[in-house]
Amino acid sequence: MNGLHGLVLTHFQAFLLFAAVISVAFGFLGRRQPKDRVKYILWSFFLFLLVGVGIGWAMYPFSR
Amino acid sequence: MSEETSQAVQEAVPQPEVAPAPKAPREGLALGLAVAAWILPGLGHALQRMWGRALVVFVGVGLLVVVGVSMRGNIFVSRGNDAFDTLGYLADLGTGSFYFVARGMERGGTDVSHANGDYGTRFLATAGVLNLLAALHAYEAARGRKA
Repeated sequence: MNGLHGLVLTHFQAFLLFAAVISVAFGFLGRRQPKDRVKYILWSFFLFLLVGVGIGWAMYPFSR
Repeated sequence: MSEETSQAVQEAVPQPEVAPAPKAPREGLALGLAVAAWILPGLGHALQRMWGRALVVFVGVGLLVVVGVSMRGNIFVSRGNDAFDTLGYLADLGTGSFYFVARGMERGGTDVSHANGDYGTRFLATAGVLNLLAALHAYEAARGRKA
């Protein structure tokens, strides 16, 4: 926590937090059985990471 | 064709089944639950005894709002300058009562001159859209759709 800038997270930390919260919410809303929920949450989280990192790498050549 | 014959023909021909009238009370209840879910995240599911979903929606939306405000994200107001401000306001308003909690928590104002403030703005908008999705889910569950 920084008094001037408030809570400071790196881009990757914010990305992980976002992916985790949304994956859990999607898992609970989209599936009924606990086992299905866990599978859905893990899969959704993994896809968030994959797509996020993939888009990051795709933009890398244009970043400078 | 006489009247009796006409009636006999009508009885003999199979009539298409009339669809049952929509259940107005259930529809009204579902709408009420959707509004409740919008006003207080998770309430729509809690009233249907879906405790796990209610808790996840409440904590998820609340966490996104608290983190978004803590990162000094922009909480849009109704007097927007352009269409993007209006869209941002609608997204933020999706959090229902948490919008006013966020306004109350805002101490140092927004700061989108740094990346963190910009991330915070996205967290706040995501919280609103997630709550609207949850309210839609509560509505569908109340209507008896598979949920």
